[in-house]
Amino acid sequence: MEKVFTDGLSFGIPLLIMAVGAIYSEKSGVTNLAVEGFQGVGAFVGSLIAILLIPVMGNGNQWIIYIALAAAAVGAGIYACLHALLCIKFHADQVISGVVINILAVALTSFFTSAANTAINGTASNKFILGVSNRFTVPGLSKIPWIGGLFTNMYPFEIIIIVLVIFFWYLMNKTRYGMRLRACGENPQAVDAAGGDVKKTRWIAVMISGALSGIGGMCFAYSLLANFSPSIYQGYGYLAIAAMIFGNWNIGSTALVCLIFGFAKSGGYQLCIAMGLPSNYSDLFLMLPYVLTMLLLIFFSKKNHPPKAVGQPWDKGKR
Amino acid sequence: MKKFLAQRLDGRYSAFWASVLAIILTLITASLLLLVMGKDPVVAFQSFLQGCGFLPKANYGGGSGMLSDLFDFLNYLAPLLLASLAFIAGFKTGLFNIGISGQMLFSGFLATVFIGYNKSMSAAIAKPLVILIGLASGCLLGALIGFLKYRFNIHEVVSTIMINYIISYLTGFFINNNYVDMMTRTSRICTAAARLTWTNVKIGGVNCKVPLGIVIAVLIAFVVQFLFDKTSFGFELKAVGLNSRCAKYFGVNVGKSVVLSMAISGALAGLAGVCYYLGYTNTIIPKTLAGMGYDSISVALLGSASPIGAILASVIVSIFQQGANYMSSRVGVAKEIASLITGIMLLYAACGNYMRIVAHSYLQKELDKTSSREGKER
Repeated sequence: MEKVFTDGLSFGIPLLIMAVGAIYSEKSGVTNLAVEGFQGVGAFVGSLIAILLIPVMGNGNQWIIYIALAAAAVGAGIYACLHALLCIKFHADQVISGVVINILAVALTSFFTSAANTAINGTASNKFILGVSNRFTVPGLSKIPWIGGLFTNMYPFEIIIIVLVIFFWYLMNKTRYGMRLRACGENPQAVDAAGGDVKKTRWIAVMISGALSGIGGMCFAYSLLANFSPSIYQGYGYLAIAAMIFGNWNIGSTALVCLIFGFAKSGGYQLCIAMGLPSNYSDLFLMLPYVLTMLLLIFFSKKNHPPKAVGQPWDKGKR
Repeated sequence: MKKFLAQRLDGRYSAFWASVLAIILTLITASLLLLVMGKDPVVAFQSFLQGCGFLPKANYGGGSGMLSDLFDFLNYLAPLLLASLAFIAGFKTGLFNIGISGQMLFSGFLATVFIGYNKSMSAAIAKPLVILIGLASGCLLGALIGFLKYRFNIHEVVSTIMINYIISYLTGFFINNNYVDMMTRTSRICTAAARLTWTNVKIGGVNCKVPLGIVIAVLIAFVVQFLFDKTSFGFELKAVGLNSRCAKYFGVNVGKSVVLSMAISGALAGLAGVCYYLGYTNTIIPKTLAGMGYDSISVALLGSASPIGAILASVIVSIFQQGANYMSSRVGVAKEIASLITGIMLLYAACGNYMRIVAHSYLQKELDKTSSREGKER
């Protein structure tokens, strides 16, 4: 039971940071289906930096993880400019742009992973082996029955992400910038009339979105997968988008949904082990988050309120 | 030069020229990439064509020749063309079916299990049944997605992706449990009677794999073109895609159109699935979605969502995908570059609209300039 909480948290928290990224982009009025691509590129850039640093700083040096996380944020933020360029400058269909970004991300990262591996150690492998981040247990809190699992074997990045999420919640809901950003997604004409720059606000929002998604991807590479390979593209970005939809574009409720996804995934897996089923059956339980998403979508999709101007390119001359 | 380009992009065949420009830009980008890696782009592009049987290779193994490469290429082309037609059928109605790989896997799996492993069936019964199962299973799945979109307002991009992974894990579970070949770790191969490709056909002294799918695919391309250009049903679907509120006002049943369009899209994706899994590969790798489902989006956008355009575009994308193995062995670049080139092409194709707008406003400015000059002279 405690394992369910531990694993669920380590899956749900990276999902949350990706969902917060998606919320930033959509609240500013840019449809973001590109989360999957952003997180992959972020993980790729971070892992590449980590692989290059391991010989210099020594294997197992935990500082590499933090540098990799920062690199992932920067790399994915820059890659997100492509989405911003297509959606904001080129007025491309934002759904198409999102899918293009995702497909290109898969192709780019798998090609350059083999290219980089060939250059570094001469083997054309499509993997960067990273290992798993160190874990820690909060003394005291972890002794609480039932929910003690939440504080056992935590990854350090979970704390970083929670701090980031609180910061970005504050930025979105309590500051002038956040107010303007939300207005861009509801009524860009009003922002323009008030002297705001709609395009610039949206550019920044999409880049923030990329950076946060990149951090999420890097966390998966350092926890769940222990490497970077094309298997990072498992639809987690889309799970984050689904979480955003249930959370009604609200960071607080999205956090709750992400945790539910996480617990569903780890709960299913632990159930499979507890029932003593052979390992083949774990595939059926891995399906659970996706099935749960579909069911939740069926029940909650009708009621939600996406930002009004989402998906429409900003055109000054339009009424 | 600038004016010539702008006129092409603004004229009657602007969609065609936008695609041509996208291809040229892709080739330039890919050449630059290859040059940076220290490879010769001319040799690379030549070996892409050689790998597909358009140019002769230096030497061939026993029993194979240029023609066998060409037929292998057609084997790959058939499902890709069908998959892109599937995407187009949804796209015309404003639906973004990116679950084509899942629908392909679903139909391919069902056809393999029910017909492909049935040893008593003759080819005359098995082949039509495989096609029928492909159509029917894809159609049902597509209709389900359309229903979810209309009834519950679930964005089709999210629902198709979720269904992709559900199908991938579910079929992977059954294959690993019941149908796995212990040697290859993939599903057991289907009977020759059920396979939609005839293997070991002697043409001109070499062994060829002749695909049935390519005939079906080209036929269906024309059927889809006819459906959207000449029938009122197709017009209704397009109207929903352009402006669903307006279509509703005109008395089109929007819900029905969405479901039907997704059903057609799914059916074609299912057909692509049986052509891929019971023709091109003849086996299913568990828990792996075919990359073809995503390439089909590149093909459809490059062909500017026209079925006939898709035929041309699918040839270009297939050359890169199918020729990548030979290119990789000859030039020494990882074969993943094929997907990268396809992705770059997709990126430029998505910018096509912007190029056309820029060309239009450029010509407009030129026109203003000349007319004002004429005004001064007068």
